[in-house]
Amino acid sequence: MTAADGTVPTSMRREGDYLVIDWSDGTIARLSWKMLRDACPCAGCREERDKPADPFRILKPQELVPLAPVAMPKVGRYAYKIVWSDGHDAGIFTLEHLRELSRRTTGELS
Amino acid sequence: MPPPQGPPRIELPGVGHVLAVASGKGGVGKSTVAANLALALAGQGAKVGLMDADIYGPSVPIMMGVPCPIDQNVTPLPLEKFGLKLMSIGFVVPPEKAVIWRGPMVDRALRQFLDGLQWAPLDYLVLDLPPGTGDAQLTLSQHTRLTGAIIVTTPQDVSLVDARKGVEMFHEVRVPVLGIVENMSYFVGDDGKRYEIFRHGGGKKLATAVGVPFLGDLPIDPRVAECGDQGEPIVHRYPDSPVAQAYFKLASTVVTELAKRPNEQELPDVVM
Repeated sequence: MTAADGTVPTSMRREGDYLVIDWSDGTIARLSWKMLRDACPCAGCREERDKPADPFRILKPQELVPLAPVAMPKVGRYAYKIVWSDGHDAGIFTLEHLRELSRRTTGELS
Repeated sequence: MPPPQGPPRIELPGVGHVLAVASGKGGVGKSTVAANLALALAGQGAKVGLMDADIYGPSVPIMMGVPCPIDQNVTPLPLEKFGLKLMSIGFVVPPEKAVIWRGPMVDRALRQFLDGLQWAPLDYLVLDLPPGTGDAQLTLSQHTRLTGAIIVTTPQDVSLVDARKGVEMFHEVRVPVLGIVENMSYFVGDDGKRYEIFRHGGGKKLATAVGVPFLGDLPIDPRVAECGDQGEPIVHRYPDSPVAQAYFKLASTVVTELAKRPNEQELPDVVM
């Protein structure tokens, strides 16, 4: 999948708390890892997001440690997977999804 | 400890092009097209392999006349027949036994077929996909370097609707669609007249609608089924028949389409 507008990333790198994507149309996006984790498209995270917030939720010890990405392998020619420091790696970030998040950071999408 | 990376991508060194023969719908003749296309490519002097990616309903053993299960001590895999390298789950599972697996097992089997066997050197590895847009299609597009997909349809709307979904799926996973083939397109009777039994032209119309090349149409010939059931595809048994000639033409068209396309751009690695 190219993103719906036909763009593809030409380079991607971690810069501290951000993933920086250079897109083929010349735009550069800086996506925070927190934003990416919050937008994880896996079924488990989606379900979690759709639930009403639990006011009595007790955080697990691993949730107290700041999350960090440990790897971001390619999935075929259409997506990336983020492997997080807590072991979560189920989300497949398609180029379309990354593009949409990029556009959100540049204010093209609200 | 190194971070978990998931299963590595299967590179298949020494294999030129990996071609997926697919469709949205079952029963359109994918396996027949895959087997005969593989033989037609081999007929041009290419080294060709045919891998049956249909784990639940393998057809390659019967179509290629391989009595199963084989004894791997005597016949190493991939086995060779009609000049093709062949692999199918049917070679190792008795024909009367159903494979009842969930997706992850299908994924594992397909990766093992690709990664665990000596396919190289090959110019083309033709993959006969199961119908639909499920586990096998996803596994192959995620873990292998598919050069392109060939979508098989029959002329009726009921098949075209699903073929369109197949095209859409390959677009979504950035696997180039080389084009659409219309199978069972027409029949030429003994009277020399052309009969369009299932209608005609739907494949071409779909190709235009979705913006991919139309690779050609394949006529109906009762001998196609007879040859398939007897384990010798028509391209091998009757190479001068109109159907076999249509397959040779299809092979040439596929080669031309491949030549037109530079390698699809790989995604960049993420520098961590």
